[in-house]
Amino acid sequence: MENHETAPFGFKQVSEGEKQGMVNEVFSAVASRYDQMNDLMSGGLHRLWKDDFITDLNPPRNDQPFRVLDVAGGTGDIAFRILEAGGSGINVTIADINPEMLKEGRKRAEAQTFKGEYDFAVTNAEKLAFPDKYFDAYSIAFGIRNVTHIDQALKEAYRVLKPGGRFMCLEFSHVDVPALEALYDAYSYTVVPAIGKVVTGDGHPYRYLVESIRTFPNQKNFATMITKAGFARAKYTSLTGGVVAIHSGWRI
Amino acid sequence: MNDTTDQTKDQSAEKNQLVDPALLEILVCPVTKQPLSYDRSTNELVSQAAQLAFPVRDGIPIMLIEEARDLNAEPQP
Repeated sequence: MENHETAPFGFKQVSEGEKQGMVNEVFSAVASRYDQMNDLMSGGLHRLWKDDFITDLNPPRNDQPFRVLDVAGGTGDIAFRILEAGGSGINVTIADINPEMLKEGRKRAEAQTFKGEYDFAVTNAEKLAFPDKYFDAYSIAFGIRNVTHIDQALKEAYRVLKPGGRFMCLEFSHVDVPALEALYDAYSYTVVPAIGKVVTGDGHPYRYLVESIRTFPNQKNFATMITKAGFARAKYTSLTGGVVAIHSGWRI
Repeated sequence: MNDTTDQTKDQSAEKNQLVDPALLEILVCPVTKQPLSYDRSTNELVSQAAQLAFPVRDGIPIMLIEEARDLNAEPQP
């Protein structure tokens, strides 16, 4: 194999060329039950985390044009929340590398009505098919840890944002409350894959999800990466003791 | 609303093949970041600069380099 660079796939090291395909298989396998599984596995907490994320993103409620690129937006969960919170000027482009996740998203979108607009595109977070300085906000929720080159995805986020535009990321992070740590370990290594196996018939996709969370940089290190990509005022907020964190930065 | 009896195509399926025109206007080539042109006959988004044609499947543009057709690979059928 010519490519000797490796990337983490959960705890396994796989060649960089392999990682994306393996991640895609995981998500194709779970697309239709993705949100349901999130509910089960987070005990409904993911809804609260997403509410906090949308509150922080603060989409304008008027008719002023506000373009959002929701990357790894798959089933549309984040996009629909943005559309519900904002006014008629909101336009969300839902981007995902996995067409199965987007098809699921479109199906769900057609069952609802929104004041704002939305569209779908299959695109790689590392090689976005959008013009420079186009979006007012870039959101990525539970997606960036699945990207092979996170630094490249951050650079692309910076490129497509307008000056004054904001990068926002919701992602699993590192628990910083010792008492919670042991509980969280026990839960995520045994309970999560077990639920995954019962509901989708396969524990492997969920084992990957759990392991990929552990290999993702902690709050501080990820904030440093955001700064390195060019963003100003990178900051983070830990939620539920650091189980997840909201990171943000501005293109100025 | 098409009532013609010789209509063999499922209208909703056909509608699903069409890309949102507003999206067509903003998409750029993921390689060169240059504008694309839409080829109605093949339902592809063509990047002249990269010599790649990106497919549209079920109305969703697939802007992945590994899924694109190389315009130099072989003559069009």
